[in-house]
Amino acid sequence: MSLSLTDSRVLIVDDNDFNRKSLALLIRRHGIAKIEFAVDGIDGLEKVKSFRPDLILLDVAMPNMDGLEMCRQLRRSVGHSELPILFQTAFDSDEEQVSCFEAGGSDFISKPIKPGECMARVRHQLERRKLFSNLNAFRDRVEKELRHAQAMQLSLLPESWRIQTIADRYCLSLDSHFETSSELGGDFWNVFELDDHRVGFLIVDFAGHGITAAINTFRLHTLIERIPADAQDPSAWLSALNLALKEVLPTGQFATAFYAILDIATNRLRYAGAGAPNPVLCVDGEPTLLDSAGFLLGMSRRAVYKNHEVAFPPGAYLFLYSDALVESPGRHSRPLGHDGVISLVRTAANQTPDAPLTSLVEFFFAEVDRPLRDDLTAIWVQRRRTEPLQDR
Amino acid sequence: MEFQTRQTGDAIEAHLSGRLEFTDHDRLRDIVALLETPKARRFVVDVSRLDFIDSAGLGMILILQEEAEQKNISMVVRGPRDDVKRSIDLAKIGEIVAIEG
Repeated sequence: MSLSLTDSRVLIVDDNDFNRKSLALLIRRHGIAKIEFAVDGIDGLEKVKSFRPDLILLDVAMPNMDGLEMCRQLRRSVGHSELPILFQTAFDSDEEQVSCFEAGGSDFISKPIKPGECMARVRHQLERRKLFSNLNAFRDRVEKELRHAQAMQLSLLPESWRIQTIADRYCLSLDSHFETSSELGGDFWNVFELDDHRVGFLIVDFAGHGITAAINTFRLHTLIERIPADAQDPSAWLSALNLALKEVLPTGQFATAFYAILDIATNRLRYAGAGAPNPVLCVDGEPTLLDSAGFLLGMSRRAVYKNHEVAFPPGAYLFLYSDALVESPGRHSRPLGHDGVISLVRTAANQTPDAPLTSLVEFFFAEVDRPLRDDLTAIWVQRRRTEPLQDR
Repeated sequence: MEFQTRQTGDAIEAHLSGRLEFTDHDRLRDIVALLETPKARRFVVDVSRLDFIDSAGLGMILILQEEAEQKNISMVVRGPRDDVKRSIDLAKIGEIVAIEG
């Protein structure tokens, strides 16, 4: 592979005028035209600032400041730790060559300069630098695009003002936590105002994370526009979403899901699961796990889902979460597991009944390090004990 | 995840151990390649020494099933236990893939 080095900048630092000129002649002949000179280490440091070279050809013995000292100072300064520095050493002595590397030199060429060797080393260092900077530029661009995409993905989730409005409308306390692992994730959740006394909650987790999983959350978002949340029958809605996703998802891509309809007029919670982690329900002070087994969304055309129904009176709460909560290994402990979730939820509800989710997330991160290996979504839905408005 | 291969008659066995998760996607190709074994009629994915499977891992099992079907090879997942069994049951994978206790 041969990269064009015409735009590379080379600084030659040598107190000998003849040496400077002959080195310049040599590298100019190989297409490198942007060359600057310095006569000693002090001058060299100045020229590094003003010229911003991609490579330095550095003599060792010079008056005022020698090459070794100049190299040491450069390596200590910000932004020059990776700058290629090629020493020219007068002697082929092992000791001097070692001291060049100890000062931070990238490589050396021995004097008298052998043109072939000299250019091979210069070219090697410049190409390497160029590849690294290309790679860095690529990484910067990808990171920037991922941040944009992440912002787009966050926009799929209900805004906090909407969550608050819905909470007030149905006399609920609603709180949510969402964070992705590698910039983008496959988690998704939403809340649906079905009618005056029914509100729906959906939590979905596409397999894996990263770009593929994130694109699938956009697919789902679009599907929900086309197939609105069912106000009566959670299993029917999951079936409809499953068929639509099966059409578009390749084998091996699918989602776990849980959909629940809360009816504040009948005090009932009706729900169906598609392999989501078991949600936690608490009606009378003792939290339990709900059955959320079911075909993964997008796995099979033959999938059928089952409705379940439980009482959900004022004071009751429902906690939904994605698998990062149960599967993330702790710093000193095993992952929480489903049994661990129950005690985590119980503790949070008992200790801080006014903001259980906030402390639950705090407890979790007391044990688990960021960044997470998987996306984390957690939603707390609680009915207020105050009487619902009477105009319904 | 690590895996070892065994062949007995017309059956290929892949013995998986450790954790089967998102980061193992590249290994999947190696397991799929086992289905190219001449005269293979049955494919056993032994998960009895697997400690953990995430949703991406479940996806890999479904991909294996599809690849096996295309080659007319019958696939069975053998011996899931603990967390792995729980995940397989939760997602009803057993309705699509033959699971052997």
